[in-house]
Amino acid sequence: MSALMAVAIGILFAASIYMMLRRSIVKLVMGLILLSNAANLVIFTSAGLTSGAPPLLDAATKQPPAGVADPLAQALILTAIVIAFGVLAFSVVLIHRANEVVQTDDLDQMKETDQ
Amino acid sequence: MLDSIVYVTMGFIGVAMVGTFWRLIKGPTIVDRVIAMDKLFVYSIGLILCLGMAEHTSLYYEAALLIATLGFISTTAMCKYLLRGDIIE
Amino acid sequence: MNIAWIIVLPLLGVIAPLLANPTRRNQVAWITAVLPFAALLITLYHAPAILAGEVVQQTWYWIPQIGLTLSFRMDGLALLFTLLILGIGLLIILYARYYLSSKDPMGRFYSYLILFMAAMLGIVNSGNLLQMWAFWELTSISSFLLIGFWSSTGKARKGARMALTITGAGGLALLAGILLIGKVVGSLELEAVLNSGRLLVEHQWYPVILALVLIGAFTKSAQFPFHFWLPHAMSAPTPVSAYLHSATMVKAGIFLLARMFPVLSGHDAWFVTVSLVGLATLLLGAYTALFKHDLKGLLAYSTISHLGLITLLLGMGTELAAVAALFHIVNHAVFKASLFMGVGIIDHETGTRDMRQINGLFKYMPHTAVLCIVAALSMAGVPLLNGFLSKEMFFAETLEQSAIGALSWLIPLLATIAGALSVAYSLRFIHDVFFNGEPKGLKKTPHEPPRYMRIPVEVLVALCILVGIFPALLVGDLLKSAGVAVLGGTLPYIPLYIWHGFNLPLLMSALALAGGIGIYARRKVLFQFQSHFKEVDANERFDAWLYQVITFIRRIEALIDKRSLQYYLAWLSVALLILLAAPLLNLSLVGDNVVITPLTAEVWAGTALIAIAALATVVNNRRRLFAALLISIVGLGVSLAFARFSAPDLALTQISVEVITTILLLLALFFLPQTTPKESKPGRLLRDIGLAGIFGGIMATLTYAMLTRPIETISDYFLANSKTGGGGTNVVNVILVDFRGFDTFGEITVLGIAALGIYKLTAGMRLFLPATNEDGLPWSRDKYPLILKQVSQSILPLALLISAYIFLRGHNLPGGGFIAGLITAIAIVQQYIGHGNDWIQKRFYANYVGFIAAGLSIALLTGLGSWLWQKPFLTSWFDYFTWPVFGKFELASAMLFDLGVYLTVVGAAMLILAKLGQLTVVEPYSEKED
Repeated sequence: MSALMAVAIGILFAASIYMMLRRSIVKLVMGLILLSNAANLVIFTSAGLTSGAPPLLDAATKQPPAGVADPLAQALILTAIVIAFGVLAFSVVLIHRANEVVQTDDLDQMKETDQ
Repeated sequence: MLDSIVYVTMGFIGVAMVGTFWRLIKGPTIVDRVIAMDKLFVYSIGLILCLGMAEHTSLYYEAALLIATLGFISTTAMCKYLLRGDIIE
Repeated sequence: MNIAWIIVLPLLGVIAPLLANPTRRNQVAWITAVLPFAALLITLYHAPAILAGEVVQQTWYWIPQIGLTLSFRMDGLALLFTLLILGIGLLIILYARYYLSSKDPMGRFYSYLILFMAAMLGIVNSGNLLQMWAFWELTSISSFLLIGFWSSTGKARKGARMALTITGAGGLALLAGILLIGKVVGSLELEAVLNSGRLLVEHQWYPVILALVLIGAFTKSAQFPFHFWLPHAMSAPTPVSAYLHSATMVKAGIFLLARMFPVLSGHDAWFVTVSLVGLATLLLGAYTALFKHDLKGLLAYSTISHLGLITLLLGMGTELAAVAALFHIVNHAVFKASLFMGVGIIDHETGTRDMRQINGLFKYMPHTAVLCIVAALSMAGVPLLNGFLSKEMFFAETLEQSAIGALSWLIPLLATIAGALSVAYSLRFIHDVFFNGEPKGLKKTPHEPPRYMRIPVEVLVALCILVGIFPALLVGDLLKSAGVAVLGGTLPYIPLYIWHGFNLPLLMSALALAGGIGIYARRKVLFQFQSHFKEVDANERFDAWLYQVITFIRRIEALIDKRSLQYYLAWLSVALLILLAAPLLNLSLVGDNVVITPLTAEVWAGTALIAIAALATVVNNRRRLFAALLISIVGLGVSLAFARFSAPDLALTQISVEVITTILLLLALFFLPQTTPKESKPGRLLRDIGLAGIFGGIMATLTYAMLTRPIETISDYFLANSKTGGGGTNVVNVILVDFRGFDTFGEITVLGIAALGIYKLTAGMRLFLPATNEDGLPWSRDKYPLILKQVSQSILPLALLISAYIFLRGHNLPGGGFIAGLITAIAIVQQYIGHGNDWIQKRFYANYVGFIAAGLSIALLTGLGSWLWQKPFLTSWFDYFTWPVFGKFELASAMLFDLGVYLTVVGAAMLILAKLGQLTVVEPYSEKED
């Protein structure tokens, strides 16, 4: 199971990097989405893979059942997911704005804006 | 008895997912793919509910509920894009 | 009163002039003056204790482990400077009121001025070296703003830039020096550094530390060879010059020398460097001043020269010399400020500062003339004026020193020559401007300035005379306490009186006076001689030098920077690989925690779904919509993975964000360019595949290695205290709204900022819809299909209900503000998709910015609320209540915080999506509604 998860994460990373290395803006954006998914999964797995034991307390005993999943990693990812959306939206608009100036979808051409 | 039925059901759903996924990759038109995606959402609902039954917990119920509601919205957005190009007019 | 107020009050005062009514100029000046005046009162309140030898201190610890404190410390030296800064500063405020024309933005000017004042006060009163450095930099920045105040003129901009470059570079050197001092002494607290005795001098790093600190001081104080920025800073408004170049900016460097005197002097390197640099500056400044036709140019070089004199005194190493330096700091500040103000008046009334044009002004403005003459005589060192006293002490000390060994006899000689030159240029100032015939070619007839414009000059000139006659009475105590601070305990007897009898210093003074008169009388010859030398424009040279540096750096940059995101990314991956190579080679892939979990079919299927969808995205990256669709599948797969591995909260969040991202991506697909650039060359493809493969491989390896090792969790505390401390059984949610509530607050703030940024970026943006889709087919005519409309509308209440349900149960079961907010946003977006903008706007006025503001305010107020109960920020509270119908239920302040999260998320998501959706305004093809 661990190996499988690791391979899936590796593929996600590879796919995102490849997409980001393309010259098109759209692909860059897609690469970013994949990258955030991949990163979230890594953080998630860093706390171990637990089956069937979400981090919820028993209301009566006020204590967790044995062997529940690590809540901290989950809390971190939860905000990361939402923030990733905000950042993605921001970068989309920013890239578009730049694109408006240079009139190209080719990221290799976009350096002209620096001048 | 119920447990084994649940597992058999999951197996069937799995097969259906594989088939749908094949359709999604294969196409040939984009409409086929959108429908395939919608179906994948539906199968996921089934899978999650079965998982909940197998583990005797109701915690996954909301996830299924959300996929049902929101997956649909995803599909309509795709359709709107196909029809009009601009999804919010 | 806390001495921190002395800095804080002026800092607050930065906004005061901006609040005043800009058309009421008196009001602006008054409001500006109030807070510095209050600071002056506080200073005077502390003065008796400090004069008695106490050191007033105030320290707040921030991160004491690494030496970061907020610490204020006022001793005699700081007191002397504080009085100068505040006293002259207040006079400058009054003066500037009349100097600035009604066209100048007065509020802004005062605001910069007060900022500068606060920064200077910060330098002299800091008890921590790093903090002092921060204020040091602030003076560089605020003086940049002040010098470039008339930014429409190129001269002002260039002068400001040059001052900033030189003093800024010096500041960096100083920072390095301070950090080294901190390393050697083990503390950055001034108290500790000053008590370190000869530790620094004997340390092997001493030469480096000394060089760095001296570069900082010399650049700031315009010492040779960094002196050239100061004359160019004269393009500032005259009140600024009067302030910066008499009492403050340039004195900061001198202050630093005096402050570090106890621990850095006492070594030959100090004596030789400081005294020779001071001597060179003294002579160069005095000589150049003689040939300046511009009044402010003359004063600028004279300032350089006097700063050189003070530096020389500090470099001589005798105790009395240090005291003389302090005395001259005060005297120079007083007479130079009054001279600058006088020149400002002349400039104001005649419209020029060229001494070849302004002559014989005594007739037109006798009152101002007398003031200027007295101040100039003080500058020349004429008896009965304050300048004479410190110059006399200076002459006396030049005879005492042995800084440059056998050649030490040169110093008194050169000092006398410099004295003569200073007499000569003072004389030139007096004679050329106020006598010497009639003015030539003036545009207006000069007359006396407004009454109140002269008051600051009068005050300062009165001080020149009073200090000149009653030195011991007026500044004796101040000098003593400052001297104790600089010399550390042992204070020599200070001969603060006018008549010392006939001695060698007096002879030197007389020689200087006679020589000065002689030089001035023979000035024609000198001018003739000087005209053989081409005048070097420091500005041009500086620009040329700057240009060379920039070109050089550009060339290096061009070698390593191709200005391409792909290029950066490629390098980043390679660097990562190199960094990780060694650890990876030493890492055994499998740790000792190999848990063989039976591989179930759904895990197989799920991971395969993610992996195949990701790979398919790559393969199909040229078909945009298909790729978008596949990414949506990846998101779904990840969400399933979260659900499978015990993270229901994450599964819910992921699926909501997935939908919202899909909508965003569809919007983006529409407005990002439709055409795709040509496919890259095979070589590049291969390189990218290689890079991506390596990167993915590394990540997979690391993940696997991580998964096979024992996990040490730090979550036990959260698990144990979630219910008892936070009142909820859903630990993830309790962490978000309670344990780590401050983080969450930061995160929703970021989200809000991102949304606002998008809102601003899209302002005025317009998008044109292409007439056909990618395959060339025309779009459907039906904007809002009936079925879509009906379904969208009916889904709204359902989705809102789910959202409310998810929100309310969040504290105890999977859910919470984040997820509920996303669901609500999606439900509303669906209405936009189904019905369009106009339909929504008719029915529902949605101020999404308001949502964000309300959400953040609620979260913040919930946090602040805990202060009412004397608890730290964001301490949560919960209790159980019983209501008749509902039964027992729980109320928690965390719920309110979560409501803030909810509103912010809804507002941000909607602001982003609705704004992007509204961008299409004009449609380039004609369309008839059916």
